[in-house]
Formats: sequence, C-alpha cells, structure tokens
Amino acid sequence: MDQYEIRELCNDFFDAYQDGRVDVLRRLMADDCIIWHNVFGRETTRDENLEKYPDSYQGQRRRTYNDRIINTFDDGFVIQYTLNGVMKTGHKGALWICIVARCKDGKLTRIDEYMDTSKFAAWMGGPR
Amino acid sequence: MLFDALERGDVDAVAACYAPDMTMWANFTMHETTREENLQAITAGAGLHRRRTYNDRQIHTFHDGFVAQYTCEVVAHSGAKLPLNACLVAEVHDGKIVKLMEYLDSGKFGRR
Repeated sequence: MDQYEIRELCNDFFDAYQDGRVDVLRRLMADDCIIWHNVFGRETTRDENLEKYPDSYQGQRRRTYNDRIINTFDDGFVIQYTLNGVMKTGHKGALWICIVARCKDGKLTRIDEYMDTSKFAAWMGGPR
Repeated sequence: MLFDALERGDVDAVAACYAPDMTMWANFTMHETTREENLQAITAGAGLHRRRTYNDRQIHTFHDGFVAQYTCEVVAHSGAKLPLNACLVAEVHDGKIVKLMEYLDSGKFGRR
C-alpha cells in the first residue's frame, strides 16, 4: 500500500466509526485484526471489538472524530484526533486520542489506542 | 538518542535533541510547555524515583517525524515498579525535535 492508500484507509475507518457503519468497519479490518487499548492493557479481536461497538455509544447521542492529524509510514499510520461527543443529556465532551495502526492489503491488521482515563468523567459530563 | 538520554537522566543530551523553539504537549495536561520548561521538568523529575527505563520501543518514521510506542518503567525509591504504556509523536526539522506530543493514561499514575 502506498501512503495515499494508507491515508484513505485511515479516513474511511474513522468515517465509518463516526457514522456507525459496523459493516464497513468489518470490511476495513482484517479477519485477524487485533485491537489493543492502553486503558485496559489487553488485546481484543475484531469481532469482540465490533460486538461491543453499540455498548460504547451508551449514553451518547453523537460522536465525531475531528482535528485528524495523519502521518503514514511503511506499513501503517499514526492518527492524532479529538473525539467530540454529545451525550443524551446534551453535555458536550472531548477526548484527545492517538492511534497507531498497521495495514496490509487494504485492511487494518493492528490498532493500538492511547487515551487518558482521567478525562472520562469530564467526557461523560459526570463529576469533575 | 532521545530516549537513551532520558534514561540516563542526561539533560544536556536531551537538550541537544531539541530545537530552540521546541514545544511539548501531553494529553493529560492539555497544554504546551516550552523547551526550558520541559528540561526543568526532566531535571526535577529525576529525583522522584530510582530509575526510569523506556522499554519495548517500537519506532516508525514518517517524512518529518516519528512515532514511538514504549513502556516506561519507573522504579520508585521504595523499589516498587510502575509500568506505563505511552506513545510519543514527534515533529523533526533539520535534525532537531520541534514538537513532542505525548499520549498516556494518567489514571495509571501511582498504581501498583
């Protein structure tokens, strides 16, 4: 994959996440794609991740993946972005996240996600 | 070079990696610090623990920078070890780091 294909895959993936297109997400992730989160410190499979997608939206009306800074390397990309969310209460929150991903043959093969749990309460509109 | 210097606590060597107008941003502080503020923080932080190593480094380069994923293991004066998974994105111009952006989970600070 060249840098343009990798960049397109990255944007397609985040657009699909934003639009709730689980079918597109499944198509963009390799069958054996692994997702690792610094918050949990463990790996999940593609199917585990997509199965939990609806749960991740609990209490939220809308999420957008903004301010995307994407840099590509040989077999992947790093994306820094602002996750803006509108809760069902009307509260607006934001998280600042970085993902490093590996790609092969037009699909994502690994996703490493870095975020800060100390921002979760403010994100959801809970106690500061 | 940067991570090796940080491990040794060699502030001069860290400073040599930075451009004069270098800035650093972190996802847990949400504000930018200057080169001097960063170097002061490294100096001040060195006495807070016995040892700090940057392990499991995975580094990818792109046209004007790099991303490093690593496990920062801090050994406290008590002997307790705290591993912290972090990601650092850097912009590099003319052989010097001009911007660092660090992402980690500050909720894990102090956990054993």
